[in-house]
Amino acid sequence: MQKQLGFLVDLGKCVGCRGCEVACSNKHQLDHLQYRRIMNINKENQVLGFLSLACNHCINPECIRVCKEKCFYKRRDGVVLYNSQRCNGCQRCIGACPFQAPKVNPRTKKISKCDFCFEQLDQGLEPTCVASCIVGALQVIDIMQPIPVYAQEALPNFSITQFTKPSIRVILPRAPQCFWRKG
Amino acid sequence: MKQKSVVSRRTFLKGAAATVATVSFGGTFFDFIFSGLSPAVAAENSTVELFRNACPRNCYDTCAILSTVQDGVLKKVVGDPASTYTRGTLCAKGFSYTRSVYSPDRIKYPMRQIGRGSGNWQRISWDEAYTEIAQNMLRLKREYGSTLPICLNKYSGNFDIMHYGIEGMLTSIGNTTRATGTPCWPAGIDAQTFDFGTIVCNDPEDIVNSKYLIIWGANPAWCSVHSMYFVKEAQQRGCKVVVIDPILTQTASKADLYIQIKSSTDGALALGMARYILDHNLYDGEWLAKNSKGAEEFFSYLKNNITLEWAAEKTGIPQHIIEMLAREYATTKPANIWIGYGMQRHTNGGQNVRAIDALAAITGNIGKSGGGAQYAQLETWGFKYHAMSQSKPANSGGKEDRAININNFGAEVLNAQDPPIKMLWIACRGPMTQDPETAVVKKAFEGMDLVVTADLYMTPTVEMSDIVLPVTTAFETPGVNVSYWHYWLSLNEQAIKPMYESKNDVTIAMELSAKLNELEQGSCTFPTSGDLQEWVGKEFSEGIYKQFGIQDWQELKKGPVKAKSGLIAWQDGKFRTPSGKYELWSAEAEKYGHFPLPVYVEEMQSTDKYPLRCITPHWKLSIHSQFQNLDWMAAVNNEPHIEIHPKVAAKYHIKDNDSVKMFNDIGYITLPAKITETVSPDVVAVYETWYKNKKFNVNYTVKAIPADMGKKATGAPGIAFHDNFVAIQKM
Repeated sequence: MQKQLGFLVDLGKCVGCRGCEVACSNKHQLDHLQYRRIMNINKENQVLGFLSLACNHCINPECIRVCKEKCFYKRRDGVVLYNSQRCNGCQRCIGACPFQAPKVNPRTKKISKCDFCFEQLDQGLEPTCVASCIVGALQVIDIMQPIPVYAQEALPNFSITQFTKPSIRVILPRAPQCFWRKG
Repeated sequence: MKQKSVVSRRTFLKGAAATVATVSFGGTFFDFIFSGLSPAVAAENSTVELFRNACPRNCYDTCAILSTVQDGVLKKVVGDPASTYTRGTLCAKGFSYTRSVYSPDRIKYPMRQIGRGSGNWQRISWDEAYTEIAQNMLRLKREYGSTLPICLNKYSGNFDIMHYGIEGMLTSIGNTTRATGTPCWPAGIDAQTFDFGTIVCNDPEDIVNSKYLIIWGANPAWCSVHSMYFVKEAQQRGCKVVVIDPILTQTASKADLYIQIKSSTDGALALGMARYILDHNLYDGEWLAKNSKGAEEFFSYLKNNITLEWAAEKTGIPQHIIEMLAREYATTKPANIWIGYGMQRHTNGGQNVRAIDALAAITGNIGKSGGGAQYAQLETWGFKYHAMSQSKPANSGGKEDRAININNFGAEVLNAQDPPIKMLWIACRGPMTQDPETAVVKKAFEGMDLVVTADLYMTPTVEMSDIVLPVTTAFETPGVNVSYWHYWLSLNEQAIKPMYESKNDVTIAMELSAKLNELEQGSCTFPTSGDLQEWVGKEFSEGIYKQFGIQDWQELKKGPVKAKSGLIAWQDGKFRTPSGKYELWSAEAEKYGHFPLPVYVEEMQSTDKYPLRCITPHWKLSIHSQFQNLDWMAAVNNEPHIEIHPKVAAKYHIKDNDSVKMFNDIGYITLPAKITETVSPDVVAVYETWYKNKKFNVNYTVKAIPADMGKKATGAPGIAFHDNFVAIQKM
């Protein structure tokens, strides 16, 4: 594969404002489901930050493998898309995806998921989540190209399942020097 | 552009697009906006229009918004890239506007409640509503000889300038009673008024020029998220960011240095730092000699009364940290301090702000790009207030309006005599969730002949009203907005028709005036008709035109504009104090009963009975009672909680998510625990907001204790919201 678009999440910049989540819902006019979710991975007073997750457009997508109706397909740029026409609502993909990316639309009972705002990509524009991030914590990257050396595949204390080869890279936060109260 | 839609106003917008930034991917922003519409819906013959809106909430950011409307339906909102502050993005709350406008929970038509608080509502027509309201107003005027029994409580639910027409409506019926003051920030306003003459802050976009930034008791990551971009940008350019807070906030977690301070002792830290700066000759004597009054007295106060040992003991911050902070702050230029509103909600809050201001003054950081003591600004608010400026009808009784303290609203309503208060008009406000001492506020409501509330949703305040009037959102009505933080001016265009039977507050004023005059000719001076768009135009003054470099307000249809001057506070060195200098020694402060110098005033202490300080900061998914009730916000979080330090939790055998009762002598609330080391061990934190269908209101425990300052600039002292002492127990 020559190209594989994915997301670079900078945990040092993300303030967990939830703007990307709601911007995504705004763009796709999602009533009762969310394509993108922010996970709070802080532990007690340890500053780890937030991980913004949607579909990771995996290199080896389980959704494509398990869907008997062949609703999922992968574009040449690596974006995993979904066509609901043949979907029978079996929800096999939901069980298979390690990231809970496919969602059931409560109205149609069919599946829908993050489409990387492909029609924006095709116009040379950023996906909505990336464009809406105030602090610039979300970026589109091609993981087949050299990416920043400080970007990595894994987080301490939080596992990003790797067997599907998700197209997500993270930059770890730098915790502040803290002085806690005496007395 | 894929869709073959009839895009009116498109040509004009293409012109505008040439001047705005293009996103880095290469397409124009306007392609981005339209691409939000799926090809299926953007069918032939559908009309897609773009409108400029402004978020009118009580928020630092006051964002410029671009709204996409398809066939009369608001489909999408994004930040306006023409504003270099909003930078094309909105916060989670802003992005939820497509939900709030079409929320099934909106109040759709006027209703009358049979039995206040009963939930027994019946739909009535606008005419019935106006008739009942007008008849009551005229009856009260007859019975009491004036309209003073009618009381208005309106504040920050919508800061669009036209919304001051609500005050205008009350003026136009005669002398009335007004809830006066502001709950959020008055102690700090008075402090800066004594020091500088008024509140002015640097343009927040100037933060990028700071080399040292102390964010003191503010949490922009939650409450001014667009400012966080500039904070991060400054940090990337080498600025050291320090956060001083009793809580390790989200902002603090992004800082270089976090210092946990004992709540309400900020003045002790500032004075300790000042003493170190004085002792080590790190102050700017030249600046002080030229620009200040009272430096000698202040230094003498420091020498005689302040030691670093004392400051360390007071604040809980080790002495060497205070020394390090003082040294770094005084020797890195320019150094900036952002003073939050949280730290002035104390009985010594104003004094604490004065002490911090003094730090900026003695180090010569005032009037400089990248420097300053930022609190807020009202410099861009010089409108005509046409809608507000109404005349009183002749012979309507009473000498003048009667002011009651908005910060002790319930008690002041109950105490009002000669004449008593008999009718409430509530707009842009939710006293039943946002005021302290909810039980007293409820009692005040219960004593009324009539309570009228104009609102969007069935809030607890509406539940305690007799008549509710449905109002429009910002997208359904024209207006104009400015911020108390940044220097942008944004027009708010009407993007869609008013939903259901909702009306703008000014339209309500006009129609009520017609009804009053029908029942009693000459009883109300408010114009009975008018074009709202034209009324927006009437708000603009020559001063505003000059400040923003525009000739006509209609130019704002092309995009928001930024003030052309005054972006660095006090750059001209012309302070607006009586002496014209920065006043470390303020005779004005003395006049209002304070010590003339910034001195330390003892903070309130916990008691054996109530050992924990409960602070009630703002919540990231709401602005006071707004937003958290929406489904998209509930999907992110729908559960209030109490943050407790692990040591405290262990003492009470409380585990995560255990149900905890928090109480004091005026009330209690029960809510799940969140154990976290991010709060101080003597503090519990409960974020104030209104959840739909939840019995949660932290103000059941909050007393109306006045802050030390606020009387001079805002008419009433603030509320010491964070001097609330409580006990907890596991349920």
